[in-house]
Amino acid sequence: MKALALRVVIAAGLVIGGASHAYLYLHGYGQVPTIGPAFLIQASVSFAAALLILAGGPDWLIWGAGALALGSLGAFAMSRTIGLAGFVERGWQPAPHALVSVVAEAVTALACGAWVLGAARARGRSARRR
Amino acid sequence: MTEDRDPSIMTRRQLIRHSAWFGAAVGLAVVGGEVISHIAGTGTGTAAETRPTLRFAQVSDSHIGFTGPANPDVTASFGHAIDQLNGLGYTPDFVIHTGDLTHLATPEQFDQVKQQLNGLHTPHVFTVPGEHDSVDDAGQKYRKVFGAGTRGAGWYSFDVAGVHVIALVNTLNLTKLGHLGQDQLDFVKKDVTSLSNDTPIIVFSHIPLFAMYPDWGWGTDDSMQALSYLRRFSSVTCLNGHVHQVFSKTEGNVTFFSATTTAYPLPHPGDGPAPKPLTLPAGKLHDALGVREVSYTKGQQALALKESTLS
Repeated sequence: MKALALRVVIAAGLVIGGASHAYLYLHGYGQVPTIGPAFLIQASVSFAAALLILAGGPDWLIWGAGALALGSLGAFAMSRTIGLAGFVERGWQPAPHALVSVVAEAVTALACGAWVLGAARARGRSARRR
Repeated sequence: MTEDRDPSIMTRRQLIRHSAWFGAAVGLAVVGGEVISHIAGTGTGTAAETRPTLRFAQVSDSHIGFTGPANPDVTASFGHAIDQLNGLGYTPDFVIHTGDLTHLATPEQFDQVKQQLNGLHTPHVFTVPGEHDSVDDAGQKYRKVFGAGTRGAGWYSFDVAGVHVIALVNTLNLTKLGHLGQDQLDFVKKDVTSLSNDTPIIVFSHIPLFAMYPDWGWGTDDSMQALSYLRRFSSVTCLNGHVHQVFSKTEGNVTFFSATTTAYPLPHPGDGPAPKPLTLPAGKLHDALGVREVSYTKGQQALALKESTLS
């Protein structure tokens, strides 16, 4: 039951983050070199991973979702500091998509972390029983 | 008979199952990408079938007359850029040079750059001045060569393929940052009054109209006033030079694109005390220099940009 709840949270985070990126891609960002294709890949991979995680996909899909969320957060931080492929923005612009994406990606990353931790504990218990 | 199996080793059945999940992930991601691209109208099929309404190219910061180890032959580099634009495979509707055509604004340097620009295979060449083009005379020599048909200190606008283009001069009356001045602000306000909100707007300037790095003068002190007149338009694209590197930024309906140079690279914002020419290792210079293609397709909100190095 807990596993199903985590899967739902991860999938919801992925869909919300992916939808934000897809919206921005369709509204101007698609034309920004490097950033546009990156937004498209982020959105499409997020939607695919969300669907498959809900369908009961293996652990590596959840690890991948966590890596995608962390990578997106890292890219966001770079775009607000040193720049990412020459692209820079300030603060939480574009509002509200920047904030929505960051919250969704943070939730996804935390939920994936909880999943990985739970799986590691389960493996430890199983090893001790053997 | 039972066989003890190491649980860390994957069975063939598990391998097949994981491969199926992987295949599904890749397949769904590709389908998702195609769907989004299709909605955006930028899918490969659409792009191949639709000729852009407007296609032009941007070059910037040729600094003809510069001498130094950062680029021992800026004239040849600019010639290389022109050859590259002439080899695009189509004739751009126009070419814009976003300033610092010359390094020291001498008549000989203006003559040289004018001759080279005449070699472009395009119906129109437009320019805006950089601060190097007006080092000693507030742009008089620049306007003598490139000022035909402009207003004020060299600003102008025109319409092409349903797009309204505004070329601004923010390199005169410089303190630290670029400056437009009240006359030019009034010009922008009046210039766009009669345009409908869905008219795509392109703005050319030498110095960025956004605060890229004000400590180095990479910004324009009164650009917010000019941009306030453009807020109502659904698509505004600002193209500039000056910073010698590709850079982009989005603020609401306005997207800013800084272009690279055909002369020599400058450091990234804040790398070092001042924006001095960078001398790159042998063979690396042309990777930092480049030209830009820009296209607009009617019905699409944003312009498409393609950056190319001088390879």
